[in-house]
Amino acid sequence: MSFLDPTASAEDTDQKPLAERIDSLDGKRIGLVGNGKQAAEPVLNVVEERLREQYDDVSIEYYLVEELNMLKDDSVLEDIGEWAADTVDVAITAMGDCGSCTKFLAWATDSIEANGVPAVGLVEEGFVMDWKSNSIERGRSLRFQVIPVRCEVTDRDRIRGDITGDVLADIADELTRPRDEDERELATAD
Amino acid sequence: MTGMSENEQTLEGVNEELHTRGATDGLPVVPPTEDRVTELLRGTDLPPDEVLATVGEREGSVTVRKLAINAVMAGCAPIHLPVLVAGARAMDDPAANVDAAAVDPGSWAFQWIVNGPVREDLDIRSDTGAFGPGFWANRTIGRALGLTYQNTALVHPDSEETGVTGNPFKYTLVAGENEDRSPWAPFHVDAGYDREDSTITLSARRSFVQFIPYEMDAEGVLRAMQYNTTPDMVAGSAGDTTKTVVHTVAPYNAEELGEAGLTKQDLKEYLAENSVRPADELGAVDRAPGTEEATATGAVEPLQAKTIESPEHVQVYVVGGSGRFSAVGHTMGGPVTQQIEFPSEWETLLDEYSVERNWGEITEEYDR
Repeated sequence: MSFLDPTASAEDTDQKPLAERIDSLDGKRIGLVGNGKQAAEPVLNVVEERLREQYDDVSIEYYLVEELNMLKDDSVLEDIGEWAADTVDVAITAMGDCGSCTKFLAWATDSIEANGVPAVGLVEEGFVMDWKSNSIERGRSLRFQVIPVRCEVTDRDRIRGDITGDVLADIADELTRPRDEDERELATAD
Repeated sequence: MTGMSENEQTLEGVNEELHTRGATDGLPVVPPTEDRVTELLRGTDLPPDEVLATVGEREGSVTVRKLAINAVMAGCAPIHLPVLVAGARAMDDPAANVDAAAVDPGSWAFQWIVNGPVREDLDIRSDTGAFGPGFWANRTIGRALGLTYQNTALVHPDSEETGVTGNPFKYTLVAGENEDRSPWAPFHVDAGYDREDSTITLSARRSFVQFIPYEMDAEGVLRAMQYNTTPDMVAGSAGDTTKTVVHTVAPYNAEELGEAGLTKQDLKEYLAENSVRPADELGAVDRAPGTEEATATGAVEPLQAKTIESPEHVQVYVVGGSGRFSAVGHTMGGPVTQQIEFPSEWETLLDEYSVERNWGEITEEYDR
């Protein structure tokens, strides 16, 4: 039986390149970007602790929005991109542990990458598909790191137990590992 | 459709006729043609005239054939019929109290929880979005059983059904228990079945209150479970009526409880023991279990009352996906559990009728 397609036609989004990664976090200006989710600031605070333990001479800059999901507004996205370009060498964004917050975190991370700053989103394991699909549909295969902090947890002591030096090394790897062939090809195509 | 005019034999005509008779739930149905019903009956080895349940004041017979007719209308395939047969048998159990729940002003909706391997066989959703929408088996199984009850008990709003506001869950309310992400034994194992058995469990649910824990630890989860159980969710047994509080717990919240060493029985005992409310918050205090004697023999009414009579009046299932929202509700009747039995050509039917979803998983497009 023939039928008419009930789904909306949508063009595949052209995929854009990731920003070029850096060699090392040593001595760099690192941006910690929070999306207003309860867990974002405590998670980023613990990331800062680990960064200071592991790297010499890093400087830390925060960009925190006052309320959840402000990162969807064009003016805020533009601002965060300009802030990243002017202020930091790399950015770590958090926290992807729900549907809308993961979507708009990806949008903010995309704005940072679009301004030439390498970035990585911190995502809870249950929201990886959410991150990937939103990233692709936004137009950039954004890097992310699954962190073992359970959804919505804000207890800093518990987070300290979850974000170990090894976890930080994995986060750093996403910011320093050279782009793979696909990412570079996309860069050439762009 | 013997005896129908040419117009009635169109999709639109059949729907118009069935809507006119009050034989639908208001949504379009698949016309239950003889061929479709015959094909659907491949889903059981039982004879079509076997009576599975007797329902309603008019003692309507739920035969296998009537069940199949309503299943076709609901959009089911033959592979869904074994679940429906077990569901119909559950309706026949007096403990399910369906004839009260279905017509009550409280608009109780039949809730069906599925356990065991059949969840995977039929893609009965237990993870993200389990209660819907979107999953064929979840949506059509509940719809078929609801239509079957309506069309055999012959109840409709304005006649015998008196649900004041109505309840959209009456269309369908089905989920699998998320056994893979539960720290505890599945519900049907607690009920005495083997893990490899498949079952369906019925109780009629009135409310669906979603909430997140106050703190992300076991105490915070438990406190939220207690505080979000509203004062009118009074649970206990009186006469032939049993009411329960049902918690459909998100896997992450269950994980917090499990890691703290709490069993399902621990939860039930905690929730019943701490269900104390100020008496005036309950309205008529004698609605609460265990207070009738105090109010009858004392000169003054008690200041507090428990809303949950005992741990046995709490149901706990792990349902849903990643995230923190759990849900609590109030049920009448049940829980009544029936084992699902499969026809001799089950594997053949699965090959013929299973639908592989091309969504909801990490597809190649996104897996970069």
